[in-house]
Amino acid sequence: MASSSAAQPPVDDVPADLRSVSDDSDSGNEEGWEDVEPDDESQPVVGLFTEQVFPDVRSMIEDCKEKHNFDLLKIQKDLGLDFLDTIKLVNYVRSEVKAGNKTPDVSSKVKFADDAYMKPVLEDDALLYSLDDIAQDQDAEPASGNEAERKVIELQEDLERLQTQFSEYRLAVQKSLADQLNKEDEKLEPGAYVKRSPADKIGEADEDYFTSYSYNTIHESMLKDTIRTDAYRDFVYENKHVFKDKVVLDVGCGTGILSMFCAKAGAKKVISVDNSNIIDRAKEIVYDNGLGDVITCIRGKIEEVTLPVEKVDIIISEWMGYALLFEAMFDSVIYARDRYLAPDGLMVPSHATLRIAPYADPDFIASHISFWNNVYGFKMNSMKLNIYDEALVRSNQPTSIAGDSAVFLPLPLHTITVDELTFLKDFQVTLKEDIDALDGWAIWFDIFFMPSRDSTVPDNAVPSDMQKKGIVAFTTGPDGTETHWMQTICLIDHGKHQAKPLKKGQVINGKIGYEKKEKGSRLLDLAIEWQDENTKSGQHWSLQ
Amino acid sequence: MEGSGTPEPTGVISSSADRMVGMEHSEVRYFTSYDHHGIHEEMLKDDVRTRSYRDSIYQNRHIFKDKVVLDVGCGTGILSMFAARAGAKHVIGVDMSSIIEKAKEIVAANGLTDKITLLQGKMEEVHLPFPKVDIIISEWMGYFLLYESMLDTVLYARDTYLNPGGLIFPDKATMYVAAIEDGEYKDDKIGFWDNVYGFDYSPMKEIALTEPLVDTVEMKALVTDPCPIITFDLNTVTAADLAFKVPYELTARRSDFIHALISWFDIEFSACHKPIHFSTGPHAKYTHWKQTVFYLRDVLTIEEGEKVSGWLENRPNDKNKRDLDINLSYKFETNDPTRFAEGGCSYRMC
Repeated sequence: MASSSAAQPPVDDVPADLRSVSDDSDSGNEEGWEDVEPDDESQPVVGLFTEQVFPDVRSMIEDCKEKHNFDLLKIQKDLGLDFLDTIKLVNYVRSEVKAGNKTPDVSSKVKFADDAYMKPVLEDDALLYSLDDIAQDQDAEPASGNEAERKVIELQEDLERLQTQFSEYRLAVQKSLADQLNKEDEKLEPGAYVKRSPADKIGEADEDYFTSYSYNTIHESMLKDTIRTDAYRDFVYENKHVFKDKVVLDVGCGTGILSMFCAKAGAKKVISVDNSNIIDRAKEIVYDNGLGDVITCIRGKIEEVTLPVEKVDIIISEWMGYALLFEAMFDSVIYARDRYLAPDGLMVPSHATLRIAPYADPDFIASHISFWNNVYGFKMNSMKLNIYDEALVRSNQPTSIAGDSAVFLPLPLHTITVDELTFLKDFQVTLKEDIDALDGWAIWFDIFFMPSRDSTVPDNAVPSDMQKKGIVAFTTGPDGTETHWMQTICLIDHGKHQAKPLKKGQVINGKIGYEKKEKGSRLLDLAIEWQDENTKSGQHWSLQ
Repeated sequence: MEGSGTPEPTGVISSSADRMVGMEHSEVRYFTSYDHHGIHEEMLKDDVRTRSYRDSIYQNRHIFKDKVVLDVGCGTGILSMFAARAGAKHVIGVDMSSIIEKAKEIVAANGLTDKITLLQGKMEEVHLPFPKVDIIISEWMGYFLLYESMLDTVLYARDTYLNPGGLIFPDKATMYVAAIEDGEYKDDKIGFWDNVYGFDYSPMKEIALTEPLVDTVEMKALVTDPCPIITFDLNTVTAADLAFKVPYELTARRSDFIHALISWFDIEFSACHKPIHFSTGPHAKYTHWKQTVFYLRDVLTIEEGEKVSGWLENRPNDKNKRDLDINLSYKFETNDPTRFAEGGCSYRMC
């Protein structure tokens, strides 16, 4: 056993030709395999009986069941295997297969009781690291009616137990075991920590706990953005007939709030996908709220995961980024729509519009731009350069907007394509007041939730007007209550485009372009050209 | 900290990257985030901070005159320029971040290029034009004094480059703790997760409880006297001393509830002719460091004159040295068995 671990290549080093063994998986798997990030939980798994690499544990287990008549979960259940037993089982099977025995004897627990099977056969065997997930998934199968609540409680107990067991296992295979224990002892010194809650222990055991932690503040600020969250809630709860008995896909589900709205509104099934660690919290939250039998949380990229259904009736997603398209998450939503949405399915929200307006704010310029002219007696003008290269995200008073806004891109979510998200569009705005200088351009977006895919929204629709008609809609513009998106400000470099006074009623014609920094990039390049009768100007900004 | 990373998008102008969803905590972020001018603007506008450095340098021209000065983590170069204006023979500014390019332009614009040499890179890797320096200046302090602080870099610079008898500006830092009544805000930050749009979000609450909060605490929230817990003398401290476990004892000044402990630090420039000192505590003028709040799981009900005691333990995380693991234990001894409480919480700043 001791020498065998090096004989088989670790997952990361599987030669390219082995990947072609894959015969039943779809073509996306290979890409998925390439894309794997080190901290990604859904790591590729090497098959138990072949050297085939599967994109996740679930598909590997399915394959074992179908092709090798080996049902890991059933064996686990029949033999009453606990967590450590299951680890041994996996290592036992792997070592038998490696020795040439494709039908290892698993009739009894005794066959693999030896502690030698604690040692992983494969280095970084993703299967071992996913055992607790499998157990959860297994238990998460819809429980029949009155059993559901008891099931949830059991699940939580299981989760705690498994996390503890898993951490024990991790410790057992770690070379630094002794160090770790010493440190634990120090911490438990008498007088220092007399009482500790179980949650503390879990927190320490679960490394992922802390990688997700950096997201906490972000999710808090998004949930507390009531303009955003209220709009989704209002639409879902006011249109329960739309959601009743439907299959819903939540793309980028975060903490799962939108999924839970849909479940409460009567959805038959909600599939929640997110590629971040937050999915682990979402799972817990969903169980805590007794919605585990309706909502299925899946970690991964929407382009790579395998959904338990072929088509969905509704796609709900909160995909909007700064200036709407920063982060390019919308590309994934479009992918999901084209791949999974039924022909008569509904996108929630259904429409978005992008707006631009002239920006003039002398106070802001004085306090944040002119500031650099004299800093404690020193000239720091060169600090100003960055200001004009990067678009700023900030909240603005309506008074900083010097003219009416113009829609430059309406986005009907049911039909728009990824190609249309790179564009150069004309716009025209008219100043509503005299200004000393045009300081920049403000960009924001409005969002509309129509209850039917046949509904249309006028290109120049205003959220507050639509709300009066009973339509759920919101604006992220300076006239509305502040949202976490605020507005995107592109400051004009007056060093290159000299500041000049403009009169009320002045018409400015322009073009605005959006372009991804490079293919597949999350970053956005913005270009704006503008002209009055006399002068024509243009400038580029990046949003990063 | 002028030349390194900050975890919070607190800048008056902040570029979108500072608040981006999905932002990863990483070395890359650490060394690039300060490239955004918003952070430099915030720090330069932190008047308490910048004035203290300016005064400690300008009021001590006799100390700086004809000296070789090293500015560790120089950022936009403001401290280097103070030192040059104060008569230093030469100033070397070192920073990891590409802000150094801006610093070079700024130094040139102020006609100080021949007095100041700016080097981009790690302190451990750059090659200084002088084998030894007479004075080290650095604004290395992070939130909770030590979070993402550059103190270890300053200590490396001291051990490698500082002449015997050389001076460090500032040279003393003292950390304090105190207890506060903070029911309303604790409810907003922690209790929020109990009911989110009608849903139970307790898994997020567990995370929130491990997360120290950098925020401004009002003086009137203080329930106890402050207690100094540790002082670092930069002339003698070693990197190993930055992991510590120290006791504290807090005496209640009034009968109230305790929801959290807070921590802050004071900074002293004791090498000055007339020592200069500033505090980041709740009693002092606002600084961008604010205070660090540690919510307790329990609410303590304390009466005037009673004491809470315990230990504060801080150490860099084993995996990511820039993260801090902080453990707080507390014991509230009272003759009233219904109010007796003791416990401990683990926090991580990351």
